[in-house]
Amino acid sequence: MGTVASIQNLTVQYGNFVALRDFSVEIPEGCVGLLGPNGAGKTTLIKTLLGFVDPAAGGGTVLGREIGKHDLQIRQNVGYLPEQDCHIPGLSAVEYVAYAGELGGLPTNQALRRAHEVLEHCGLGEARYRPVETYSTGMKQRIKLAQALVHGPQLLLLDEPTNGLDPLGREEMIKLVRSISHDKGVNVLVSSHLLPDIERTCDQVIVLFNGELRAQGLIEDLKRVDGHPMVVELREPNSEFARSAAQVGLNLIGPHGTGFLFEGLDRPEETATALFKAARLSGAQIRRLDLAERSLEDAFLEAVHA
Amino acid sequence: MPEPIADLSYRGYSGEHLSEKRRWLVVAKMAWRNAFKKRAFWVFSVFACWYYLVMIAFFYVIEQVGIARGSDVVTQLFGSISWKDQFLTGFTYSQIVWLSLGLLVGAGSIANDNGTNALLVYLSKPVRKVDYLLGKWAGLFLPLLVGMAVPTLFFYLYGVVNFREYGFVSQDSYLLVKVLAMILGAACFQASLILGVSSLFNQGRMAGAAYAACFFLLTFFSNLMWIAFLVAEGGRRGHRNGPLSEIASRLYYLSIDGLQIGWAKVVLGTDGSPPFGMPSRTPQIPAPPLLLALIPILLVSAGGMFLAWRRVRAVEVVK
Repeated sequence: MGTVASIQNLTVQYGNFVALRDFSVEIPEGCVGLLGPNGAGKTTLIKTLLGFVDPAAGGGTVLGREIGKHDLQIRQNVGYLPEQDCHIPGLSAVEYVAYAGELGGLPTNQALRRAHEVLEHCGLGEARYRPVETYSTGMKQRIKLAQALVHGPQLLLLDEPTNGLDPLGREEMIKLVRSISHDKGVNVLVSSHLLPDIERTCDQVIVLFNGELRAQGLIEDLKRVDGHPMVVELREPNSEFARSAAQVGLNLIGPHGTGFLFEGLDRPEETATALFKAARLSGAQIRRLDLAERSLEDAFLEAVHA
Repeated sequence: MPEPIADLSYRGYSGEHLSEKRRWLVVAKMAWRNAFKKRAFWVFSVFACWYYLVMIAFFYVIEQVGIARGSDVVTQLFGSISWKDQFLTGFTYSQIVWLSLGLLVGAGSIANDNGTNALLVYLSKPVRKVDYLLGKWAGLFLPLLVGMAVPTLFFYLYGVVNFREYGFVSQDSYLLVKVLAMILGAACFQASLILGVSSLFNQGRMAGAAYAACFFLLTFFSNLMWIAFLVAEGGRRGHRNGPLSEIASRLYYLSIDGLQIGWAKVVLGTDGSPPFGMPSRTPQIPAPPLLLALIPILLVSAGGMFLAWRRVRAVEVVK
């Protein structure tokens, strides 16, 4: 898998405050979550990628183009959804998105055509002739996404896309982002401090804390627990099962929800085989057998407090 | 079966892109569209003709009366009129209209973008800060120029058709060029200044109020200087106070409209005369020297653009 952006030894300062400190990261293709508490440097990283801030040291590339030297070419291929409410006053949705397309370099007729398409895709087809000022918060988030998409970017930078949305709006926005990244082939970098949103939209995450990189990788890897412990759920309660498991060499760590959590053997396959053997011995029926994993929240907290 | 107006699924774009050098034009075109579709813009532009319309009506009545009485008063009066002074007077008397036009199309040009975080939209696209500012400037300059050109060219054309025999063209062969230079300079100056003021605020109406307050305060000062000049010139009695007159006549131009009037006087090459070419002994404030007119205009314009340059940044306004 290739990378969409590469950052090396980046330091960004606002006066005496260091927002990013000697930060290096490779942002892979696909849908990547940028996780971190408020003030971690997520928005600063996005603004650096867009060339909005001048780094005190270091640099990098976005889509193979050097930040600071080829900012226009970078922005030609990048769409940005800012965190705060933003629109161009006095325009209807279709005028606004078409204008954003023209600013992105599309000829007028193409910009208008794509504005209609993108608004339809973002679920604003019915409301496209309404002034943006009259939109609800959810619609404003969608139109921010539409203006970011209209010029056909290869990379979308989404800064808190579910900010201020009600549960239904949040659900729809998550689906939309996932569809854009997974069905339409657009690389997406989603910045958020809402872990469930990231977990549902992204395949990989980058964890920032105090301007430093704390963790990076596939979400499933980050959630994995050392030693391959396994969770077993039985169809019916069976008091013999734990004893049989001990007989076949498995250590019970404790109950886990409605099942049991067992320490893993050398390889997950060995643990599974032993668990099936224990079930046969005790006459229990296994309903679920899975590698135990921690929540993304636990993984995040561990990375942040490391 | 009718076809849908567009493919409803999102696709990437691999078509042609316009040159990056023309992005300012996209910004300017949107500003022009917004300005020209405002009905008030055209109302103000027509209203700016008021001096010329009154003058035309006045001349018509004089002409008709003269013809009826068979006297040569008309020939004497029209022959003594300095036509470029009429353009200067029309331009001077319409300053309040130029102010209104400027506020209408320009006060919110950057302020409203600041207030709605629109700068993030502009600057996250392949648009440089200079493209944005140039586009906004041109988007303000052209409507102001059109607003000024409507009355001025209207009277010029009317004069060419009706007052040619009274020296309208022969008095100054370069009158049209001078008149165009006058309104070009004024539109440049106003566009730069309003853009600078607009960039300081997050709401168009606040920017407009601040600009209007500056305009009226400075105009009040200019009027005080005009009175001081008249007093120093001894009114109609002729007891002249040279130094005071000199100082007042220079300070008179230190206002938004004063700078433009000074520029107009320099370009037209006249000190001005009473309205409608009526004979009067009231002294006129002399035109400033070229450099004294040009340097403050350039400084204020550059200052406005510098302010805008410093203020236009891709930062978010958190509400």
